[in-house]
Amino acid sequence: MNYYKVILYILSFTIFLSNGFKPHFLLANSEDIKPWFQKAVLIKSYQQSYDWLNPWQKREIITKSGMALVVDINNYKSNNIKKSSKINNLNLLTTADMVTDATLIEVTRKDILQPYIAKILLIDYAANIALLSIDNLKFWDKLIPVKWKKIKSNTNSKIKNINSLKIKSEEEWNIQSAKVEQMTIGYRLKSNSWFPQLKIRGISRGNQGYPIIQDNKTVGMILEANTDEAKAIPAEMILEFFKHARKKKYESLAHRGFIWEKMPQTSTADYFKIPTNKSGILISRVLPFGTGSKVLNNGDYLTKIGKWSISNEGKINHPNWGPSQFDLLFLDKLKVGDFVKLSIIRNGKPSKLNARVSSYEEIRKTVPLEKVGHSPRYIINGGLLFQELSLNYLYMWGKNWKSLAPMRLRLFLKKNNSVNIHLQEKNNIQKNSISELEYKSRVVLVTKVIPDQVNIGYQNISNAIVLKINDKLIKNLKDVKNSFFKPINNFHRIDFLPGSDRISVILPVNGLNEANKRIKNNFRIPKLQSF
Amino acid sequence: MINKVFNNLKMKIIKFLIFTNTNLPPLKSKIIIIFYLIFFFSTQFKLIASSNKIEKSVFRITNFNQSPDWQSPWKMKSTTRGQGSGFLIKNNLILTNAHVVSNSRMLLINKTSSPEPFLADVVSIAHDSDLALLKVREDRFYIGLKALDLGGIPKLRSRVSAFGYPIGGKELSRTEGVVSRIEFGTYIHSGIDSHLLIQTDSAINPGNSGGPVTQFGEVIGVAFQSNLRLNDVGYFIPIPLIKRFINDIKDGKYDGVPEIGIETSSLINRHYRDYLNLPKNISGVLVDRVIPGSSADGILFKDDVMTKIENKLIDEAGMVSFGEQQVTFFIESENMQIGEKLKIQVWRKGKLHNLVLTLKPPPFGVELRNSYDKLPEYLIFGGLVFTSLNRNYINLQGNMIPSLAYEHWYRDIERPGTRSDQTIVLTKILPASINTGYINYKNFIVNSLNGNPVNTLLDLNKILENLNPKTSYVVFESKWHNLPLVLDYKESIRQGPKILKNYGILHSLNLYSDNF
Repeated sequence: MNYYKVILYILSFTIFLSNGFKPHFLLANSEDIKPWFQKAVLIKSYQQSYDWLNPWQKREIITKSGMALVVDINNYKSNNIKKSSKINNLNLLTTADMVTDATLIEVTRKDILQPYIAKILLIDYAANIALLSIDNLKFWDKLIPVKWKKIKSNTNSKIKNINSLKIKSEEEWNIQSAKVEQMTIGYRLKSNSWFPQLKIRGISRGNQGYPIIQDNKTVGMILEANTDEAKAIPAEMILEFFKHARKKKYESLAHRGFIWEKMPQTSTADYFKIPTNKSGILISRVLPFGTGSKVLNNGDYLTKIGKWSISNEGKINHPNWGPSQFDLLFLDKLKVGDFVKLSIIRNGKPSKLNARVSSYEEIRKTVPLEKVGHSPRYIINGGLLFQELSLNYLYMWGKNWKSLAPMRLRLFLKKNNSVNIHLQEKNNIQKNSISELEYKSRVVLVTKVIPDQVNIGYQNISNAIVLKINDKLIKNLKDVKNSFFKPINNFHRIDFLPGSDRISVILPVNGLNEANKRIKNNFRIPKLQSF
Repeated sequence: MINKVFNNLKMKIIKFLIFTNTNLPPLKSKIIIIFYLIFFFSTQFKLIASSNKIEKSVFRITNFNQSPDWQSPWKMKSTTRGQGSGFLIKNNLILTNAHVVSNSRMLLINKTSSPEPFLADVVSIAHDSDLALLKVREDRFYIGLKALDLGGIPKLRSRVSAFGYPIGGKELSRTEGVVSRIEFGTYIHSGIDSHLLIQTDSAINPGNSGGPVTQFGEVIGVAFQSNLRLNDVGYFIPIPLIKRFINDIKDGKYDGVPEIGIETSSLINRHYRDYLNLPKNISGVLVDRVIPGSSADGILFKDDVMTKIENKLIDEAGMVSFGEQQVTFFIESENMQIGEKLKIQVWRKGKLHNLVLTLKPPPFGVELRNSYDKLPEYLIFGGLVFTSLNRNYINLQGNMIPSLAYEHWYRDIERPGTRSDQTIVLTKILPASINTGYINYKNFIVNSLNGNPVNTLLDLNKILENLNPKTSYVVFESKWHNLPLVLDYKESIRQGPKILKNYGILHSLNLYSDNF
């Protein structure tokens, strides 16, 4: 018996066990880097966001670097994808964050030093996905779209070994190995949305848009990578995005339509007449969009979504991922447009509600995240800068805007808000009616006063909430525009919500045009009205 | 007064020497010089004498104070020691700032350069104007001391001296500067009251508070606050407000500074004045809001233009003449007493109207002011600790959240009459088996209990006391939360004493904001 051989066998076996049955060094070599030269490209975007405090101008330029993947949104399942994809059908896929507010997007192939210019074809800020196109057909020459597939376990373990790319320089591309630890539900603060995400360890920092590779196929795309962990969007969501992108009107991905809480204790369950042996979650707030938003009520006890029972922790038993938050159903089990039965207990009585699986919709929020990359909407009249309250505006107070932005404005984000100035009117609108969609009730502010002789005495006004203009209730910027067509006795009267710096302002009709021209020239404002 | 005369004479002689023909006969010149020297030395002697008198009558105050823990309202915080200043006025009273003696457990007063502390008591305190009067228990303290005279409003740019005991030493300190501004500003002790204040570049540091600011040997104010954002800026309380305080307490109780109870906007913008058809010869400010229950309620109305107050013209910025300068028209009511009449002229519907209103206390609740010398109100049920929302509570770290801010400040402004007497807040939960599942609840505003409206902590207690013993659940509901907070009633009652014992709490409630 050769002792050396025995020791070698033992060592190999130990390494084998400690690496989830497949050693890392083997993994790294198991993928070939070369095919990725044709499937992935480097991307550099120059971003310049709008200055929501001075909405006619932009802020400082920043640059972001990452990766984009070559995709064919019409032909992503074929095993023989290389042959069947035409150049015209190819696009690039990256994260929305990578190209948000981009003024220039440069894309560089591994084999061509000269960068090409890309433009945004479709962007979903909530899901953080963007689709790009490049007009120059030469760019697509010999590029092939990535193949997508669902991630699968290499072993019985929940931890899944994957690879990704590691780019040291434009010339030096490598494969790096990593591990998917979990499929989680990621909360995106920017949009207040929840979507499935892969949680990964071992990815280099900052690798946005990089592929997550398993068996030479792409199982996801990295959204963000920090020192300790990375988050990636799973392939299932990307394929769903492709499906939606092919439609005439893009609809975002499937999303929950409510906020929930755990049942605090048995006495609460008794009070709600819910059997203590019945697991489920309490609906604490119904969102203005998403699955179940049109049928659920606050206080409903949700026990099942379709055939999936919900635990007291809000988890379902997912066939691939085990106990997972119910939002994971929107990954592969429930698609936008499907109908699903929601089993609930309401007032002690069990019932089943028929709900359409619906998507995330920013438009239905009172304080929305306005489309990034588009000029903010505003009107300037007599130096008064009118804007709709948006998350974009609140973000101007920086990362800690939730504590630094003016309290009066933050109040409008609070649910069940008794300060909602249009609450009464909103309630008059029939639920589910078309008019609700078109209503777009917003909070209109005079965010500041641009100094001119016409507004002397008003120049301390900031973030005053507009109630009426010329006696007309103001619900959005369109109302502001229209109300100024109907002055009262040759004056415009603007009334603010009490508690503002002052509660009314008068502007003259005579001389207002001249004042507006002065303000436009004096402060170099290209347009007094953005729309 | 004598000092003022001397100073004026001195200035006249100097002017004479500088500007008159110098070809005077030698005898005349000698006489003038001798006169000048006599005046000079006499004024200097007077100043030295008055400075000595002032110094003897300025004391160091040590306050051993203890404030309640508003987050855990049954508890008191650790005792701390604060240092301030005070000075002797008539009737053996010591004038100082309210903030120097607030939340006091024991007050000690030391005379200049004396190691012997004397025990003192608060005779009267005005938190709205940051003033307090003290008395030393032992009469021998007053032997050899003279009360300082109260002067008037100093002139702008005139020199002033500040006396006091700033931290970092035990001896009296004197600093000098000029009067830089006389204007209205917020008194940070109460946090909400605005009164006349005088700005000086004389150094006013922590410990100076309560010390006299003097000019020509008379007190012209009480040093009380500084501005941390600016260098060399200190403020003192002017004499009219001090005299108002002293007059107010003549009947044995402090009533407070009255308020008109209105909010106004400037009419600086000429287009607004045109819109109102305000004649060119009439100026004034626009009444935006009349606070219900205030002095102006039923007398002034929204959109009135206030043109005169106490026969003084109000300008478009809302200012009236006050000595050498303009200050807000509110100055005219702030030195008056509650119950006194205030004359106002308004422009209403194209006509001038002369009105008289009777001054009342401020229309806002005490909860809007910082609270001192009071124990928090609270009620504990089933480990849930409820308190009433006030300025001290909302200013605690993490409590400045939209729902509390709305109930505390904005509700009454936006929707007058919808505010309850108190806003009842779940401040914390003492973990126990009865309240598991709710332990992370904090700042839950209680609007009703088992369907009964809760407007005060007393209401909450009354509803709990009157619940039928067979009641199954207590259901706390909030307009700010879609889901109620539900506890098992009988179990909450059963566990109550044990929870109190576990957390070392002697009493389950304190429903009255008592002095301590």
